[in-house]
Amino acid sequence: MTVFTSNLSSLREFFNKERILICFNGPISRTLIGEIGIALKDHIESTQSRESAAMDVFGVYIEMSQNIRHYANAMAYGDKEASATVVIAEVDQGHYAVSAGNMIELADGEALLNRIRHLATLDKVELKQLYKQQLRQPKQNDQITGAGLGLIEIARKSSQPLEASLGETLQGKAFFSLRVII
Amino acid sequence: MTQHEQPNLNLPSTQFSPSVEADWQAGKLLMIGESYPENTYEFFAQIIEWTEKFLGQEGRLLHVELRLSYLNTSSIRAMIDIFDLLQEASDSGKPVSVSWLYDSRNPRASELGEEFKEDYTFPFEIAALRS
Repeated sequence: MTVFTSNLSSLREFFNKERILICFNGPISRTLIGEIGIALKDHIESTQSRESAAMDVFGVYIEMSQNIRHYANAMAYGDKEASATVVIAEVDQGHYAVSAGNMIELADGEALLNRIRHLATLDKVELKQLYKQQLRQPKQNDQITGAGLGLIEIARKSSQPLEASLGETLQGKAFFSLRVII
Repeated sequence: MTQHEQPNLNLPSTQFSPSVEADWQAGKLLMIGESYPENTYEFFAQIIEWTEKFLGQEGRLLHVELRLSYLNTSSIRAMIDIFDLLQEASDSGKPVSVSWLYDSRNPRASELGEEFKEDYTFPFEIAALRS
């Protein structure tokens, strides 16, 4: 299917309605991660009075997209499997939603979901303790999901418990998505 | 003053990594910028190596000045490796100090410095660059 001008118009309506600032769907490169990050930070800095918001959105976005890149590299995925879907939107009262998704092995997805459910039960003090512990762990512990310390850092910056799900399954893989409210 | 005896590091900043100036003569390591390279280990290996060498060979002060506005988690891990080296040197009686300088408009950079500082006992100053 081609995107016709009429589709583009309805896409625009959707973006506007959902207050989407930046979104991306496709193979994600190191450069692209950086460019989107800078655009995002500049935009939020120019509009936002809460000074830490831009850095928090930027930080969460960087951890999420680098996790996706590291995972795809570790699994030696091709471009199609290494694709990421990233959406950054404004939500109420100067808060932002950073969402990202990618195809991962079903078993890894289930392990990640369990980990995120656990993180969602911890308060900020407990998250900091866990963060400090993880900081001292050998790096190898992170390598399977690429989401050890990064995920804790994301949870620490989130103003609400992390929300994650596993979507469509295909040939032992599933679409994993994570949403963080800053 | 051959390069072999007194190796300096001079790395310009990039979009993903801070500038680094390691001056052996002055006993000073300076890092300025943001750090979120994908190859964190490679980037930091040279800084860690320089620090290790200086602390191993010299008994004089090593002052580390950091003006880092953002670090991703793997860069934080790498900084811990550098701070651990400083702590080890300090524990064996060598003078080391850290200045963590942050832009007062970026409270997250100040918090990051505070979280590093709480794990160490050597002199670790945290100050705003702009008020």
